[in-house]
Amino acid sequence: MKPKVAFFDFSSCEGCQLQIANLEEEVLDLIDIVDVVSFREVMKEHSDDYDIAIIEGSIMRPMDVKRLKKIRENAKILVALGACATIGGINKIRNQWPSEEVKKEVYGDADIKGNKYFDAFQTKALDEVVKVDYYIHGCPINRDEFKHVITSLALGKEPIIPSYPVCVECKKKENICLFEQGKFCLGPITRAGCGAICPTNGSPCEGCRGILKKPEVECVMDILKRYDLTYEELKSKCKLYNYGMEDCK
Amino acid sequence: MEKTNEINTISKNNFNDFVDNLIREEKYEVIGVKEKKHRFVFAPLENSDELRLDYDVTILPPKKYFLPQIERLMDFDLSKTFSVKESKPEKNRIIIGVHPYDIIAIEQTDKLYLDSQKDDFYKNRRDNTIIIGSDIQNVSDRSFAASMNTNVTDSGFDLLLTDIGSKYAITVGTKKGKDLLNKYAEIRDARNSDIKKIEKTRNLVSSQYKKEVKIPKEEWSKYLVENYYNTIWESRSDKCLECSSCTMVCPTCFCYDVKDEVSLNLKNGERVRTWDGCLLKDFTKIGSGETFRKDKKDRFRHRFYRKGNYLPERYGFVACVGCGRCGIACLPDIADPCDLINELSKFEKSEDTDKFFIKKETKTPESGTIHVPRRATINKIKSLTERETYFEIELDDKKSLGHQPGQFVEISIFGIGEAPISISSPPSEKPTFELVIRKVGNVTSKLIEMKVGDKVGIRGPFGNGFDLKSMKNKNILFVCAGLGVVPIRSLIKHVCDKNNRKNFKDLTILYGCKEPNEAMFLDELDKIKTIKDVTCKLTVDKCPEGVCWEDEVGVITTLFPKLKLNKSQSKDTIAVVCGPPIVYKFVIQSLKDLDFPDKNILVSLERRMKCGVGKCGHCQINGVYVCKEGPVFNYEKVKNLPEAFE
Repeated sequence: MKPKVAFFDFSSCEGCQLQIANLEEEVLDLIDIVDVVSFREVMKEHSDDYDIAIIEGSIMRPMDVKRLKKIRENAKILVALGACATIGGINKIRNQWPSEEVKKEVYGDADIKGNKYFDAFQTKALDEVVKVDYYIHGCPINRDEFKHVITSLALGKEPIIPSYPVCVECKKKENICLFEQGKFCLGPITRAGCGAICPTNGSPCEGCRGILKKPEVECVMDILKRYDLTYEELKSKCKLYNYGMEDCK
Repeated sequence: MEKTNEINTISKNNFNDFVDNLIREEKYEVIGVKEKKHRFVFAPLENSDELRLDYDVTILPPKKYFLPQIERLMDFDLSKTFSVKESKPEKNRIIIGVHPYDIIAIEQTDKLYLDSQKDDFYKNRRDNTIIIGSDIQNVSDRSFAASMNTNVTDSGFDLLLTDIGSKYAITVGTKKGKDLLNKYAEIRDARNSDIKKIEKTRNLVSSQYKKEVKIPKEEWSKYLVENYYNTIWESRSDKCLECSSCTMVCPTCFCYDVKDEVSLNLKNGERVRTWDGCLLKDFTKIGSGETFRKDKKDRFRHRFYRKGNYLPERYGFVACVGCGRCGIACLPDIADPCDLINELSKFEKSEDTDKFFIKKETKTPESGTIHVPRRATINKIKSLTERETYFEIELDDKKSLGHQPGQFVEISIFGIGEAPISISSPPSEKPTFELVIRKVGNVTSKLIEMKVGDKVGIRGPFGNGFDLKSMKNKNILFVCAGLGVVPIRSLIKHVCDKNNRKNFKDLTILYGCKEPNEAMFLDELDKIKTIKDVTCKLTVDKCPEGVCWEDEVGVITTLFPKLKLNKSQSKDTIAVVCGPPIVYKFVIQSLKDLDFPDKNILVSLERRMKCGVGKCGHCQINGVYVCKEGPVFNYEKVKNLPEAFE
């Protein structure tokens, strides 16, 4: 029996699901090994009978919590898809300000009081609400990693998600370290698995796969000093995807 | 490799023609040093203009051509039963511009991969590659090769280029190199003045090194042995980001991981070997989730000891060639061996160097390849406890496994992976053997779902078993804690066999587990108990109410006082201990209280045995490979290894 898979989305750009739709002819292989029973981006049908729930997006409102908990009840395996779901990602930028202030800034004087669709609280990653079994990191996700996770689950084995930083993959790509080029890269503290795609193309890592662990501040300070960077710059850089993780002190 | 001392010269124009000829011929993939922004890399050449022999150092060493980042070891077809095909690297390559330190690093890799338990993939790539070395023209700021005597070499290359002004001198290293010249290049014999220029050039370059290591490399080992507990490891590693950049760029870091990749349709797959690094925290993680060398400081230290003590003791070379790549790659700048050794030079040295190493080699397995498993069939499956399942496995070639008690096999399920498992049955002429599997990781979880008749792959037996000779005419005390009973069962059944029993004196079996429902082989032990001069004592840590348990309750060490073993008997008894890491400390203390000499205690240790042939680096306890020198060790030999009972 093929496992039944359903895709869901919360606050996100749906770009990670698009990555899956973009598997193109390989989608045929995918539906060969799993039964996709729900995938709003590519099909009309929907069923609540599924084994694996793959969820994109962050949790922003009480109604999201309710819906997510329901999905958790239905699913044997819950997979967080993409940075919004795995770490909160971009959506967490607004956690820098109280929710009421944010709403006022965005909606101005519009009457949103009592409207559940606008009842936003501080952004949460999925695992701040329910238990997440597996994580497919990234903004957007890496299609190869998605394939690895889905084949592993279909074979009944634990997927291997790197626990080491982007530097490992960046060195293998023989890139010239971006620090050497005067750029500020989060690769040394960010989870690998992306194949160091940004540094390989000349852009510093922004930490979309999550900060592995907060580096010891003394260690960071030394490096920052050498490359003429400030601690404030590090904090600000981490805020893009990892708000709440930016302070090493 | 046949060596010649012939030296030729070639004009620079003719040399470019030579390179272009090689590229045009398309018989070889021609690799050379090219510029990448302001740094350099080894990459395929499109024409001779791209070649930059004036480079200082490349980002990655040429090891990527001999041990590729991803090496396909074999292909398998999951839609068929045990369909596996070993892949073969076929490309012929010429690598131009390899500096002497990198040539020396390749020679070191040769020792590891070719000397014993030869790696076919590596061998193929070495055989198919011609190395055209180049003497250094510009010294990298971070290199300290001159003080390591690795800035020049007279071996390890097929040809070696030296820029002597208007032309190159070419030292011929092998016939293969000479043939290449004869076929594709216009050369002349070197004159005496040319040969003098080679020396002059080398001396000039040697004088340009900014970095110098203060302790000669032959002495590194002594300083490292003395300073294992120096605070230098902690103070340096505090700054470590654990990014393993140092091992990735190192020409002498050759540790690898092996994993199965499966296509999205779940039909085809491949088993691949990838680079791994000992600085990464999951490097030592075993199926049950336990990791060894847990502390960042320990992993940081391990890298230096591997380079300066463990590999030197085993192979006779310091596994650092002074290229300086790690110094360049390390953001906090703590990885440079030159800096570290110079810091160590302020401290004492020891005269002893082999403290972290056990000299013992096991016999090489007969099979030709070290990667592809033998096909085997699951004959019997029996559930032993909630967590443990018994398997009888038969090798399809109908040959005996030929193992000794205490050895292990790598069991493999294509698409899932491989796992090291202790053999639980005694040595036998039959093609069958027994394993006991606890569901802890991917392979074991899959295995317990399999059925009689299903196929698995087997590599091994690997490692050192229990030394039967040392037990001859002695009493044996078996101390089995938890799953430790599995490998010890092989030994117990062997010594209790009616043909062997006469060779051993009294046997005492102590077996402890957490709860009664975890106890295995109780029926077998009941029978064994009835053999003359065999005592058997069982205990459980706790017995839940309502569960029937007639034996002792308490941790395994509570059985020792009940042994009525007098101290003089201990000298005539061999204790065999196996259990989870936590028990060793307590059991060994109990044995010492009974006056057991250290040499009378045998322990079986668990680590992440991945390759089984002492290459991948995962199972190391200091300088010792558990897969080769272990898993069974004489306690006297391992007691001083700091990582053995951490």
